[in-house]
Amino acid sequence: METLLGSIEQLALIKALKTSFFAYPVVNALHILAVGGLVTSVILMDLRVIGVIRSIDEQSLMRLLRRVALGGFGLAVLTGALMFAVRATDYAGMPLFWIKLGLIGVAGLNFLAFSLLRAEGMRRILAGVSIVLWPTVLLVGRFLGFVL
Amino acid sequence: MRRLRILLLAMALGAAMPVLPALAHHGWAWTEEELFELTGTVKSVFVGNPHATLDLEVEGVVWRVELAPPGPTVASGFTEETVKPGDEVVALGNRSLDPNEKRMKAVRVTVGGKAYDIYPTRVPAN
Ligand code: HEM
Repeated sequence: METLLGSIEQLALIKALKTSFFAYPVVNALHILAVGGLVTSVILMDLRVIGVIRSIDEQSLMRLLRRVALGGFGLAVLTGALMFAVRATDYAGMPLFWIKLGLIGVAGLNFLAFSLLRAEGMRRILAGVSIVLWPTVLLVGRFLGFVL
Repeated sequence: MRRLRILLLAMALGAAMPVLPALAHHGWAWTEEELFELTGTVKSVFVGNPHATLDLEVEGVVWRVELAPPGPTVASGFTEETVKPGDEVVALGNRSLDPNEKRMKAVRVTVGGKAYDIYPTRVPAN
């Protein structure tokens, strides 16, 4: 594990990113952009499912925002992995990093359950869980930089 | 009814925020006002994004010495090749307000008599 993380840090691309003046902040900014799009669309979809937003029909809203959320998630994973790779060994030693990944996992399972279940009451409960989980991931992600 | 729902949601969000200790390591708000000097031997060094760090062993305890982002750190002359594990280093800077936290942010690092001013404007007599 240690050697694997160490060799990730040694990749040419990652070593360039490590000391870069422009590239790293750009990757960081893309992570923030992705996270912003993801969390915003998740909150809007959840509010629609819960019934707080009623002015737009659920289908159109979901069709649009689910794409934004999935795209945002993909970009967040990619840019997050790049930042992780720069200091892989250190991040891997931080409980907070694993808490963040764990919460992402739970939020993913919650999404899976939501996609499979049809009962209205259940969908609302899962939307309620989602609206709490994703912003919590955001908060934990922000704290990572302060603990490292 | 609708207002109540929004209120309940806001409360749920607030309650979900994990009560994390205030570990603000950007800027200087988390450090003491006065300067502090730490002498130790290098355990590890990292000069890269998001910021450079130096781990110093002092009487068996490892201190985390924060430097600047890689740009200003390298501009001071300090690179990852400047020190190697076992070297003696003097770090001048501000330590954490929390006395139990073995952490400081250096304004100057001295290695073998040579000084590297990481934050030149914060080094006295500069
Ligand atoms: C596999 C997925 C992910 C990985 C590997 C990852 C990894 C990282 C890393 C390494 C950092 C830099 C921490 C530092 O400053 O030292 C970071 C920052 C951050 N992450 Fe992620 N992340 C992922 C997904 C997410 C998701 C889904 C969210 C939000 C819902 C998120 C929210 C944040 C936030 C808010 C920051 C702070 C950005 C800043 O203030 O500069 N991350 N992430």
